[in-house]
Amino acid sequence: MTEERIKNLLQKADEIAGQPEPIFVDISAVRRRARKKRLASLAVPLTAAAMLLVALGIWKFVAKTGETVQEQEKIASLQAQIQQLQARTDATLRLIQEVLEDERRQRRLNELQTELANIPDPLEEIQKQVDNTAFILVYQADRMYRELNLKDTAVQAYNRVIELFPETRWADVARQRLSEIQKNYQKKDSKGDLLWKPQNAPLFS
Amino acid sequence: MAEKNDDECLVNQFNQGNDSAFDGIVKKYSADVAVLANRLLGWPGDVEDVVQDIFLAAFVGLKKFRGQCSLKTWLFTITINKCRSYRYKQMLWRRQTIPKRSFRLPQDRPADRELMDSETFNRIRRAMMALPAKYREPVVLRYLQELSTTEISRILDISENALQVRLSRARERLRRDLAELIEQ
Repeated sequence: MTEERIKNLLQKADEIAGQPEPIFVDISAVRRRARKKRLASLAVPLTAAAMLLVALGIWKFVAKTGETVQEQEKIASLQAQIQQLQARTDATLRLIQEVLEDERRQRRLNELQTELANIPDPLEEIQKQVDNTAFILVYQADRMYRELNLKDTAVQAYNRVIELFPETRWADVARQRLSEIQKNYQKKDSKGDLLWKPQNAPLFS
Repeated sequence: MAEKNDDECLVNQFNQGNDSAFDGIVKKYSADVAVLANRLLGWPGDVEDVVQDIFLAAFVGLKKFRGQCSLKTWLFTITINKCRSYRYKQMLWRRQTIPKRSFRLPQDRPADRELMDSETFNRIRRAMMALPAKYREPVVLRYLQELSTTEISRILDISENALQVRLSRARERLRRDLAELIEQ
Protein backbone atom coordinates (compact mmCIF):
# COMPACT_ATOMS: atom_id res chain seq x y z
CA MET A 1 0.00 0.00 0.00
CA THR A 2 2.70 2.42 1.05
CA GLU A 3 4.84 1.35 -1.88
CA GLU A 4 1.99 2.07 -4.26
CA ARG A 5 1.41 5.43 -2.63
CA ILE A 6 5.06 6.36 -2.88
CA LYS A 7 5.13 5.22 -6.46
CA ASN A 8 2.10 7.35 -7.26
CA LEU A 9 3.58 10.39 -5.60
CA LEU A 10 6.84 9.99 -7.44
CA GLN A 11 5.15 9.44 -10.76
CA LYS A 12 2.95 12.46 -10.21
CA ALA A 13 5.97 14.56 -9.38
CA ASP A 14 7.74 13.24 -12.44
CA GLU A 15 4.72 14.04 -14.53
CA ILE A 16 4.63 17.57 -13.20
CA ALA A 17 8.34 18.03 -13.78
CA GLY A 18 7.73 16.99 -17.34
CA GLN A 19 10.10 15.84 -19.95
CA PRO A 20 13.50 17.41 -20.14
CA GLU A 21 14.16 19.99 -22.80
CA PRO A 22 14.72 18.39 -26.16
CA ILE A 23 18.27 17.22 -26.37
CA PHE A 24 20.35 17.75 -29.43
CA VAL A 25 23.35 15.52 -29.16
CA ASP A 26 26.04 17.07 -31.34
CA ILE A 27 27.58 13.96 -32.83
CA SER A 28 30.42 15.86 -34.47
CA ALA A 29 31.21 17.48 -31.12
CA VAL A 30 31.09 14.04 -29.51
CA ARG A 31 33.51 12.71 -32.13
CA ARG A 32 35.76 15.72 -31.69
CA ARG A 33 35.79 15.31 -27.94
CA ALA A 34 36.35 11.58 -28.28
CA ARG A 35 39.36 12.25 -30.49
CA LYS A 36 40.67 14.73 -27.94
CA LYS A 37 40.07 12.22 -25.19
CA ARG A 38 41.91 9.55 -27.14
CA LEU A 39 44.78 11.95 -27.69
CA ALA A 40 44.72 12.86 -24.02
CA SER A 41 44.68 9.19 -23.09
CA LEU A 42 47.78 8.79 -25.22
CA ALA A 43 49.31 12.07 -24.21
CA VAL A 44 48.96 11.51 -20.48
CA PRO A 45 51.05 8.31 -20.31
CA LEU A 46 53.47 9.75 -22.86
CA THR A 47 53.81 12.94 -20.85
CA ALA A 48 54.14 10.92 -17.68
CA ALA A 49 56.82 8.78 -19.30
CA ALA A 50 58.59 11.88 -20.59
CA MET A 51 58.41 13.49 -17.17
CA LEU A 52 59.65 10.28 -15.63
CA LEU A 53 62.55 10.25 -18.04
CA VAL A 54 63.30 13.90 -17.35
CA ALA A 55 63.07 13.25 -13.62
CA LEU A 56 65.35 10.26 -14.04
CA GLY A 57 67.76 12.37 -16.02
CA ILE A 58 67.67 15.12 -13.42
CA TRP A 59 68.11 12.56 -10.67
CA LYS A 60 71.09 11.04 -12.47
CA PHE A 61 72.53 14.47 -13.13
CA VAL A 62 72.06 15.44 -9.49
CA ALA A 63 73.56 12.14 -8.37
CA LYS A 64 76.46 12.68 -10.75
CA THR A 65 76.87 16.25 -9.53
CA GLY A 66 76.77 14.90 -6.01
CA GLU A 67 79.48 12.40 -6.93
CA THR A 68 81.45 15.17 -8.59
CA VAL A 69 81.07 17.30 -5.50
CA GLN A 70 82.22 14.37 -3.37
CA GLU A 71 85.15 13.80 -5.71
CA GLN A 72 85.96 17.49 -5.61
CA GLU A 73 85.81 17.40 -1.84
CA LYS A 74 88.09 14.36 -1.86
CA ILE A 75 90.48 16.08 -4.23
CA ALA A 76 90.45 19.21 -2.10
CA SER A 77 91.11 17.11 1.01
CA LEU A 78 93.96 15.29 -0.75
CA GLN A 79 95.36 18.59 -1.98
CA ALA A 80 95.27 19.93 1.56
CA GLN A 81 97.04 16.79 2.79
CA ILE A 82 99.64 17.10 0.03
CA GLN A 83 100.18 20.73 0.93
CA GLN A 84 100.62 19.78 4.58
CA LEU A 85 103.07 17.03 3.63
CA GLN A 86 104.91 19.43 1.36
CA ALA A 87 105.14 21.98 4.14
CA ARG A 88 106.44 19.29 6.50
CA THR A 89 108.94 18.11 3.88
CA ASP A 90 110.08 21.67 3.30
CA ALA A 91 110.55 22.18 7.02
CA THR A 92 112.48 18.90 7.31
CA LEU A 93 114.62 19.84 4.31
CA ARG A 94 115.35 23.23 5.84
CA LEU A 95 116.32 21.53 9.08
CA ILE A 96 118.55 19.07 7.24
CA GLN A 97 120.15 21.91 5.31
CA GLU A 98 120.74 23.81 8.52
CA VAL A 99 122.28 20.71 10.13
CA LEU A 100 124.45 20.13 7.05
CA GLU A 101 125.46 23.80 7.04
CA ASP A 102 126.37 23.54 10.72
CA GLU A 103 128.38 20.40 10.04
CA ARG A 104 130.08 22.11 7.10
CA ARG A 105 130.87 25.11 9.25
CA GLN A 106 132.11 22.87 12.02
CA ARG A 107 134.29 20.99 9.54
CA ARG A 108 135.61 24.23 8.12
CA LEU A 109 136.27 25.44 11.60
CA ASN A 110 138.14 22.26 12.42
CA GLU A 111 140.15 22.61 9.22
CA LEU A 112 140.95 26.19 10.02
CA GLN A 113 141.86 25.22 13.52
CA THR A 114 144.07 22.49 12.11
CA GLU A 115 145.59 24.94 9.67
CA LEU A 116 146.02 27.39 12.45
CA ALA A 117 147.58 24.71 14.52
CA ASN A 118 149.90 23.90 11.64
CA ILE A 119 151.02 27.50 11.21
CA PRO A 120 154.47 27.69 12.92
CA ASP A 121 155.02 30.02 15.79
CA PRO A 122 156.70 33.19 14.42
CA LEU A 123 158.67 33.58 17.57
CA GLU A 124 159.97 30.10 17.18
CA GLU A 125 160.72 30.85 13.53
CA ILE A 126 162.55 34.00 14.45
CA GLN A 127 164.31 32.07 17.14
CA LYS A 128 165.25 29.46 14.56
CA GLN A 129 166.40 32.15 12.16
CA VAL A 130 168.39 33.76 14.92
CA ASP A 131 169.77 30.38 15.81
CA ASN A 132 170.66 29.65 12.19
CA THR A 133 172.27 33.04 11.76
CA ALA A 134 174.27 32.56 14.95
CA PHE A 135 175.24 29.09 13.74
CA ILE A 136 176.34 30.43 10.35
CA LEU A 137 178.40 33.13 12.02
CA VAL A 138 180.01 30.64 14.35
CA TYR A 139 180.62 28.24 11.46
CA GLN A 140 182.22 30.92 9.32
CA ALA A 141 184.32 32.09 12.26
CA ASP A 142 185.42 28.49 12.85
CA ARG A 143 186.45 28.11 9.22
CA MET A 144 188.25 31.42 9.22
CA TYR A 145 190.18 30.44 12.27
CA ARG A 146 190.87 26.82 11.55
CA GLU A 147 191.13 26.69 7.80
CA LEU A 148 192.32 30.21 6.98
CA ASN A 149 194.00 30.91 10.24
CA LEU A 150 192.41 34.32 10.45
CA LYS A 151 192.38 34.51 14.15
CA ASP A 152 191.41 38.16 14.53
CA THR A 153 188.56 38.00 12.05
CA ALA A 154 187.37 34.85 13.76
CA VAL A 155 187.59 36.44 17.18
CA GLN A 156 185.63 39.39 15.87
CA ALA A 157 183.01 37.04 14.48
CA TYR A 158 182.75 35.13 17.78
CA ASN A 159 182.41 38.37 19.64
CA ARG A 160 179.79 39.49 17.24
CA VAL A 161 177.78 36.33 17.83
CA ILE A 162 178.07 36.86 21.58
CA GLU A 163 177.01 40.46 21.15
CA LEU A 164 174.14 39.91 18.73
CA PHE A 165 172.82 36.57 19.95
CA PRO A 166 173.78 36.39 23.57
CA GLU A 167 170.85 34.13 24.54
CA THR A 168 171.55 31.42 21.96
CA ARG A 169 173.65 28.32 22.52
CA TRP A 170 175.91 29.56 19.71
CA ALA A 171 176.86 32.46 21.91
CA ASP A 172 178.08 29.85 24.42
CA VAL A 173 179.91 28.06 21.59
CA ALA A 174 181.45 31.36 20.52
CA ARG A 175 182.56 32.00 24.12
CA GLN A 176 184.01 28.50 24.29
CA ARG A 177 185.92 29.08 21.04
CA LEU A 178 187.24 32.41 22.27
CA SER A 179 188.47 30.76 25.50
CA GLU A 180 190.00 27.94 23.46
CA ILE A 181 191.74 30.45 21.16
CA GLN A 182 193.01 32.28 24.17
CA LYS A 183 194.32 29.05 25.76
CA ASN A 184 195.85 27.86 22.49
CA TYR A 185 197.71 31.03 22.05
CA GLN A 186 199.17 30.73 25.49
CA LYS A 187 200.36 27.05 25.06
CA LYS A 188 203.66 26.65 23.15
CA ASP A 189 205.84 23.66 22.67
CA SER A 190 209.50 23.39 23.47
CA LYS A 191 210.41 25.00 20.21
CA GLY A 192 208.26 27.87 21.00
CA ASP A 193 205.49 26.92 18.48
CA LEU A 194 201.79 26.83 19.33
CA LEU A 195 200.60 23.32 20.15
CA TRP A 196 196.98 23.79 19.18
CA LYS A 197 196.14 23.87 15.55
CA PRO A 198 192.72 24.96 14.79
CA GLN A 199 192.32 22.65 11.70
CA ASN A 200 192.85 19.58 13.78
CA ALA A 201 190.01 20.19 16.10
CA PRO A 202 186.43 19.30 14.99
CA LEU A 203 184.15 22.19 14.47
CA PHE A 204 181.23 20.71 16.37
CA SER A 205 181.15 17.96 18.81
CA MET B 1 14.10 -9.35 -30.04
CA ALA B 2 14.00 -7.23 -33.16
CA GLU B 3 15.14 -4.29 -31.09
CA LYS B 4 18.09 -6.29 -29.81
CA ASN B 5 19.06 -7.33 -33.29
CA ASP B 6 18.80 -3.75 -34.41
CA ASP B 7 21.11 -2.69 -31.57
CA GLU B 8 23.59 -5.44 -32.36
CA CYS B 9 23.59 -4.37 -35.99
CA LEU B 10 24.31 -0.78 -35.05
CA VAL B 11 27.10 -1.81 -32.68
CA ASN B 12 28.64 -4.09 -35.27
CA GLN B 13 28.54 -1.38 -37.90
CA PHE B 14 30.18 1.02 -35.48
CA ASN B 15 32.85 -1.49 -34.58
CA GLN B 16 33.56 -2.02 -38.26
CA GLY B 17 34.42 1.65 -38.56
CA ASN B 18 31.09 3.06 -39.60
CA ASP B 19 30.82 6.07 -37.31
CA SER B 20 27.38 7.00 -38.69
CA ALA B 21 25.99 3.95 -36.88
CA PHE B 22 26.47 5.92 -33.73
CA ASP B 23 24.03 8.52 -35.04
CA GLY B 24 21.39 5.82 -35.05
CA ILE B 25 22.18 4.88 -31.46
CA VAL B 26 21.94 8.51 -30.40
CA LYS B 27 18.65 9.03 -32.20
CA LYS B 28 17.21 5.89 -30.67
CA TYR B 29 18.28 6.36 -27.05
CA SER B 30 19.01 10.04 -26.47
CA ALA B 31 15.48 10.75 -25.24
CA ASP B 32 15.45 7.79 -22.81
CA VAL B 33 18.89 8.72 -21.56
CA ALA B 34 17.86 12.35 -21.13
CA VAL B 35 14.71 11.35 -19.19
CA LEU B 36 16.66 9.08 -16.89
CA ALA B 37 19.35 11.71 -16.32
CA ASN B 38 16.65 14.29 -15.62
CA ARG B 39 15.06 12.01 -13.02
CA LEU B 40 18.34 11.02 -11.40
CA LEU B 41 19.45 14.63 -11.09
CA GLY B 42 16.18 15.75 -9.46
CA TRP B 43 14.31 17.05 -12.50
CA PRO B 44 16.52 20.03 -13.26
CA GLY B 45 15.10 20.24 -16.77
CA ASP B 46 18.35 21.00 -18.50
CA VAL B 47 20.48 17.90 -18.76
CA GLU B 48 22.12 18.55 -22.11
CA ASP B 49 25.67 18.66 -20.76
CA VAL B 50 25.25 15.38 -18.93
CA VAL B 51 23.70 13.72 -21.98
CA GLN B 52 26.58 14.95 -24.14
CA ASP B 53 29.02 13.43 -21.65
CA ILE B 54 27.05 10.19 -21.59
CA PHE B 55 27.17 9.80 -25.35
CA LEU B 56 30.81 10.79 -25.40
CA ALA B 57 31.54 7.97 -22.95
CA ALA B 58 29.41 5.65 -25.07
CA PHE B 59 31.26 6.65 -28.24
CA VAL B 60 34.62 6.00 -26.58
CA GLY B 61 33.56 2.76 -24.90
CA LEU B 62 31.30 1.24 -27.54
CA LYS B 63 34.12 -0.87 -28.96
CA LYS B 64 34.39 -2.55 -25.57
CA PHE B 65 30.66 -3.36 -25.50
CA ARG B 66 30.37 -7.15 -25.69
CA GLY B 67 26.59 -7.46 -25.84
CA GLN B 68 26.26 -9.24 -22.50
CA CYS B 69 23.33 -6.94 -21.77
CA SER B 70 21.12 -4.81 -23.97
CA LEU B 71 22.48 -1.59 -25.38
CA LYS B 72 19.83 0.31 -23.42
CA THR B 73 20.95 -1.27 -20.16
CA TRP B 74 24.54 -0.46 -21.01
CA LEU B 75 23.63 3.16 -21.79
CA PHE B 76 21.62 3.40 -18.56
CA THR B 77 24.67 2.15 -16.64
CA ILE B 78 26.73 4.90 -18.20
CA THR B 79 23.96 7.37 -17.37
CA ILE B 80 23.94 6.30 -13.73
CA ASN B 81 27.73 6.71 -13.50
CA LYS B 82 27.75 10.06 -15.28
CA CYS B 83 24.95 11.38 -13.08
CA ARG B 84 26.86 10.32 -9.98
CA SER B 85 29.96 12.13 -11.26
CA TYR B 86 27.90 15.18 -12.22
CA ARG B 87 26.27 15.39 -8.78
CA TYR B 88 29.60 14.89 -7.08
CA LYS B 89 31.19 17.68 -9.13
CA GLN B 90 28.22 19.94 -8.40
CA MET B 91 28.52 19.22 -4.70
CA LEU B 92 32.21 20.06 -4.75
CA TRP B 93 31.58 23.23 -6.74
CA ARG B 94 28.85 24.32 -4.29
CA ARG B 95 31.08 23.63 -1.32
CA GLN B 96 33.80 25.80 -2.79
CA THR B 97 31.70 28.65 -4.10
CA ILE B 98 28.60 28.88 -1.91
CA PRO B 99 28.69 29.34 1.88
CA LYS B 100 27.16 26.48 3.84
CA ARG B 101 24.19 28.50 5.11
CA SER B 102 23.10 29.41 1.64
CA PHE B 103 23.34 25.83 0.37
CA ARG B 104 20.07 24.77 -1.18
CA LEU B 105 18.74 22.04 -3.33
CA PRO B 106 18.12 22.88 -6.99
CA GLN B 107 15.79 25.80 -7.39
CA ASP B 108 12.15 24.99 -6.86
CA ARG B 109 10.10 24.84 -9.98
CA PRO B 110 6.51 25.93 -10.28
CA ALA B 111 4.26 22.92 -10.43
CA ASP B 112 1.05 22.34 -12.23
CA ARG B 113 -1.56 23.22 -9.59
CA GLU B 114 -4.15 20.98 -11.09
CA LEU B 115 -2.12 17.85 -10.49
CA MET B 116 -0.10 18.71 -7.43
CA ASP B 117 0.64 21.94 -5.71
CA SER B 118 4.06 23.44 -5.86
CA GLU B 119 4.81 22.78 -2.22
CA THR B 120 4.01 19.08 -2.51
CA PHE B 121 6.13 18.75 -5.63
CA ASN B 122 9.05 20.48 -4.00
CA ARG B 123 8.74 18.31 -0.89
CA ILE B 124 8.84 15.17 -2.99
CA ARG B 125 11.76 16.55 -4.94
CA ARG B 126 13.68 17.47 -1.79
CA ALA B 127 12.95 14.07 -0.29
CA MET B 128 14.25 12.40 -3.42
CA MET B 129 17.36 14.52 -3.57
CA ALA B 130 18.00 13.93 0.13
CA LEU B 131 18.24 10.21 -0.54
CA PRO B 132 21.74 8.89 -0.97
CA ALA B 133 22.58 7.90 -4.54
CA LYS B 134 22.56 4.20 -3.70
CA TYR B 135 18.85 4.52 -2.65
CA ARG B 136 17.73 7.15 -5.13
CA GLU B 137 18.95 5.25 -8.17
CA PRO B 138 16.95 2.07 -7.49
CA VAL B 139 13.87 4.16 -6.74
CA VAL B 140 14.13 6.07 -10.00
CA LEU B 141 14.80 2.94 -12.02
CA ARG B 142 12.05 0.94 -10.34
CA TYR B 143 9.20 3.44 -9.87
CA LEU B 144 9.83 5.97 -12.63
CA GLN B 145 11.60 3.99 -15.32
CA GLU B 146 9.62 0.92 -14.31
CA LEU B 147 12.43 -1.46 -15.11
CA SER B 148 12.47 -5.02 -13.88
CA THR B 149 14.51 -5.90 -10.82
CA THR B 150 16.74 -8.05 -13.03
CA GLU B 151 17.52 -5.12 -15.28
CA ILE B 152 18.04 -2.77 -12.39
CA SER B 153 20.40 -5.17 -10.62
CA ARG B 154 22.33 -5.52 -13.87
CA ILE B 155 22.50 -1.74 -14.36
CA LEU B 156 23.58 -1.09 -10.80
CA ASP B 157 25.74 -4.21 -10.73
CA ILE B 158 24.24 -5.48 -7.51
CA SER B 159 22.33 -8.61 -6.60
CA GLU B 160 18.54 -8.62 -6.64
CA ASN B 161 18.47 -9.13 -2.87
CA ALA B 162 20.68 -6.13 -2.38
CA LEU B 163 18.38 -4.20 -4.68
CA GLN B 164 15.36 -5.19 -2.60
CA VAL B 165 17.10 -4.12 0.56
CA ARG B 166 17.98 -0.78 -0.94
CA LEU B 167 14.48 -0.24 -2.24
CA SER B 168 13.07 -1.12 1.14
CA ARG B 169 15.36 1.34 2.91
CA ALA B 170 14.64 4.02 0.34
CA ARG B 171 10.91 3.55 0.85
CA GLU B 172 11.42 3.75 4.58
CA ARG B 173 13.15 7.08 4.26
CA LEU B 174 10.61 8.44 1.84
CA ARG B 175 7.80 7.28 4.12
CA ARG B 176 9.40 9.15 6.96
CA ASP B 177 10.03 12.30 4.91
CA LEU B 178 6.72 12.28 3.08
CA ALA B 179 4.56 10.85 5.87
CA GLU B 180 1.90 13.54 5.63
CA LEU B 181 1.56 13.18 1.89
CA ILE B 182 1.37 9.39 2.09
CA GLU B 183 -1.34 9.49 4.76
CA GLN B 184 -3.49 11.89 2.76
